[in-house]
Amino acid sequence: MSRLEERYRRVLRLLPAAYRQEWEDEMVAAFLESMHTGDPETDEYLADYGRPSLSEVSSVLSLALRLRLGGADAPPRAYAWGQAVRLATLMGVLANAVLATAGIAIMLWQAGRIAWLPAPAAELTLTLPEHSWSPAWHLAGYAWLPAYLALVLGHRRVAQAVALVAVVPPVITAVIEAAGDSPLTVAPWAMRVTDIVLLLAMSAFRADTPAVPRRPWLLALPVGILLVPVPLFVAQATTPALELLDWPGLACAVVAAALAVHLAGGAIRRTPRAVSWSLAFSLLAAATLVTRIATLVDYRGQVQHATLTTIGAIEVIAVAAIGVPVAVLAARGLRATAPSNR
Amino acid sequence: MSEPAFFILTALVDATRHGYGIVAETAELSQGRVRLKIGSLYGALDRLVGEGLVEVDREEAWQGRLRRYYRLTERGRHALDAEARRLAANAHLASTRLVNSRRPVTGESS
Repeated sequence: MSRLEERYRRVLRLLPAAYRQEWEDEMVAAFLESMHTGDPETDEYLADYGRPSLSEVSSVLSLALRLRLGGADAPPRAYAWGQAVRLATLMGVLANAVLATAGIAIMLWQAGRIAWLPAPAAELTLTLPEHSWSPAWHLAGYAWLPAYLALVLGHRRVAQAVALVAVVPPVITAVIEAAGDSPLTVAPWAMRVTDIVLLLAMSAFRADTPAVPRRPWLLALPVGILLVPVPLFVAQATTPALELLDWPGLACAVVAAALAVHLAGGAIRRTPRAVSWSLAFSLLAAATLVTRIATLVDYRGQVQHATLTTIGAIEVIAVAAIGVPVAVLAARGLRATAPSNR
Repeated sequence: MSEPAFFILTALVDATRHGYGIVAETAELSQGRVRLKIGSLYGALDRLVGEGLVEVDREEAWQGRLRRYYRLTERGRHALDAEARRLAANAHLASTRLVNSRRPVTGESS
């Protein structure tokens, strides 16, 4: 086996085993033939030092994603993974849409722009940035709202294009801030990474995937706003101690609550639907845990360092305590699902 | 019908071909415009086989490697015919409009 073949076979490992069994040798043969130049010396050189081009690798990658995150006509296990990623993505984008909507309201309130609400406490008062581009810059986050609606209504490409508007400005801000004098913090980067992951994960919605049930997911938006940001906003305004809850902490609290509801609800059932939901919640829990643990570093220089770290640890334990049983249920459900044909 | 699927069916109209044979024929037919990547070729081919538009004709050993030759089925021929008509109708629509819009300059400036 030439080095080139070895390298290509390594790329093909991205594909599910069952698919490789059927197609790998043929794909390798076709690939090697496509690398033939007709000149023996060049061919010999390529066999040793050649590599599959980026476009060849990305064609295998997108095939692997299509096969592993299956659509309606995929084998049960691939379909379960596909549904789980789609559900987790919907929930992530929903959270962004809810928080973006609430974030703007809170910013305006802190700046004293919402006259009919009681004025914020002095230490909470915020001066809106003076540059004219700056509010518009902050409003970019609002794009998560139309992106979410587009995703639910089945316009995946529109959703991705709109979400790009929400993702790019904060990335530029983060880069500018990192280049400046302010100490480096993990939280903004963790947020940007989450945004980019969500943007990419939207690709799991394709023409061959089932349509998103519109009514519950559209209803989730106002319900989410009433359930999370509104009470939080009131609580933080009246109870200063709650300011200790930063956004990874908030994510932990919300995910832990959602996991608990899921566990109390249908998680035990072995239906494909329940397995996909358990898997989706496991993915969310894992992402939340990673973010929380990574952002604990930001507390180092803070005055209330000890308190904040303790709260952070409690958040980690809470998510893990409910996340592990859900993940176990998801794994069991997957194992019971036939890997190939239904 | 995706572009790879369209070109795979077109490449198989006149002869049975193996994987790389389809890639080479597609490149020639499109005068180098369409270079099918192996991942997209097999991504489309496995679906076409699944849908019964293409089937395995025979298997041959060549330089110690397996070569599977594919042929167009009757259903595949019909599907390609329908798609070609659809594309031709679309293209005709555009050309007619373009021809009609080539009026003499009226002096209006934009």
